[in-house]
Amino acid sequence: MKKTNKILPDIKIAEAIIDNPFLVLLLERFNISLPVQDLNISDLCKSYGINETLFEAFVSMYNGNTSIPELKLNEHDALTIVHFLRVSHIYYSEQIYPEITELINRMNQLNDHKEMKLVSVFFKDYFREVTDHLDYENEVFHPYVIQLASQINNNEPSNIRDEYSVKQYKARHDDIEEKLNDLRNLLIKYLPVNQDQTVRRKLLFLLSELEFDLKIHSDIEELILIPFTLRMEKKVKQTEQ
Amino acid sequence: MRQIHIAISDESLVIREGLQSVFSRYQFIHRISHAPTLDALEKLLQRTTVQIVIINPYVIQSNQSQFLQLKNKNECIKWIGMLYSHFTSGMLAKLDGTIDIFDTGEAIAAKLLKWIESGSTENSLQSKEILTERETDVLKHLADGKSNKEIADKLNISINTVITHRKNISQKTGIKSVSGLTIYAVVQNLISLDNF
Repeated sequence: MKKTNKILPDIKIAEAIIDNPFLVLLLERFNISLPVQDLNISDLCKSYGINETLFEAFVSMYNGNTSIPELKLNEHDALTIVHFLRVSHIYYSEQIYPEITELINRMNQLNDHKEMKLVSVFFKDYFREVTDHLDYENEVFHPYVIQLASQINNNEPSNIRDEYSVKQYKARHDDIEEKLNDLRNLLIKYLPVNQDQTVRRKLLFLLSELEFDLKIHSDIEELILIPFTLRMEKKVKQTEQ
Repeated sequence: MRQIHIAISDESLVIREGLQSVFSRYQFIHRISHAPTLDALEKLLQRTTVQIVIINPYVIQSNQSQFLQLKNKNECIKWIGMLYSHFTSGMLAKLDGTIDIFDTGEAIAAKLLKWIESGSTENSLQSKEILTERETDVLKHLADGKSNKEIADKLNISINTVITHRKNISQKTGIKSVSGLTIYAVVQNLISLDNF
């Protein structure tokens, strides 16, 4: 797949999507639906009220770029990023994880090797870990970011929980894509095949897709949201003093 | 040179006996079995190891799904079509090679040797021993739910050595999590499923 590396405001978003269809997922998370006509990135961002620098950074990450410079972001962008991540969470828990579970079940019906049962258990346990991870972000970290942004925006006195800091989130933030890679290795190299070749191929495509998406998801958190939240935290604390 | 076992699957006795007579000239073929039908072939493959199946595509045509199941189950076998009438290229693509009724004995022997030497026979698809004995010991304990400290104590090595072994295991297998490595250990028959 050819991917546009340098993201410029005058690039037509449709061309960028043709080069890299994963960008459809990105659009969905910015509440932008297809078709996108002949709009370039700059026009698209203006009509949807999105910070162009932020949008370009995300597109660039989906195109494989991991060196993201420090972005000039404001409190409104914090809400955009949190919204983006929350829509991704819904996509993971309501779409792609159930699809993977369904394929694993089908694989189990077609392949009676006893090891396959362990794959179901492996994925079930993994899905539980992922759900815990997403729940924590939905219930603790994201509300905290929204609260910080709103305080800065409204110049309100601080009422954030003293005991909580983005540093705690950073410390417990782990790679949820690691076990997907383990599963791919098991399916590709070791697990005996029976009648499940086609289902296994479909499953591998989905796992690769999810792993790629989760890696960017986690990069957005690590490289953009965490540093930005640290800056907001500092700002709020300075206001207090 | 390795000796091989060939199964001939063709309803015609004349063809089976004819092939057997050609094959008997070559020392590297040490055993020949007859399986006139797919059912007979399936039973044969369940009880013995075969490296090459010579099959009449007509046998496949009448029951393609049974053939594909059998072929998938026996990936290490080379499946060779015995041709004496016309078959579509789609049918022939399902096979690893073909022998023609007009091929000379030498030509058939040369083809058989080529297929034998081209790998994937004699279980070459099955796992190779990629872990050292010590790494295997560490993996077994890991899959058993033991901590690094417990493994170190059991094997009389330092925790750092256990960590190094774990890194090597993950690098070699591509699997990092303990739960993933446990499945690997079961697949490789290092631990039994009864442990769960």
